[in-house]
Amino acid sequence: MNVSEHCNELTERSKVSTKRLAKWTGLWLLSLATLTFGPMYIWDYHTSLTLLALVANLVIGVKMIWVNKQHLDGLDELQQRIMLEAATFSLGITMIAGAAYGVLDAIKLISFQPNPSALLFVMGISYIVGTLLSRRKYL
Amino acid sequence: MTQAALANALGVSRQTMNSIEKGKFDPSLPLAFKVARLFKCRIEDVFIDDEPNV
Repeated sequence: MNVSEHCNELTERSKVSTKRLAKWTGLWLLSLATLTFGPMYIWDYHTSLTLLALVANLVIGVKMIWVNKQHLDGLDELQQRIMLEAATFSLGITMIAGAAYGVLDAIKLISFQPNPSALLFVMGISYIVGTLLSRRKYL
Repeated sequence: MTQAALANALGVSRQTMNSIEKGKFDPSLPLAFKVARLFKCRIEDVFIDDEPNV
């Protein structure tokens, strides 16, 4: 195998795994939307259909995690380090923000019930920030 | 040999190779062995320990 073939193999593997991850993330989002809006707008809270949508969402979610792991396994060691540091940063920020956000209602700083899904935004944004910080550190 | 060609030969990205060359990232032992094997020399000929001796 020559250098060019190796390069093509590395790039091609990365492209394929990224596309695969994007596909499963999209499917998971679609299944979440179906689970959220289906009972209300499509099948009028039919329990069996709602359970089916829930199971589909969980199964697709597990597959998405597995595909993400495969994607990470395909990265080189510095790329893996950057992803690990970003995940660590995101986990810490989400834990701190989640704990504080959870008590805001009880200590009467906000007048509404905290919505746990808001933490998904914190997680996503902190992951992006963590990635940028790690990239700046190493690249 | 260009940085890109070296990175390709080692199976890492060019950015990773650049980061190792600039001393921003320490490669794993298997990758260090690969580099040494590629240049037909010993690891300590390629990578220098900059930690002070205890």
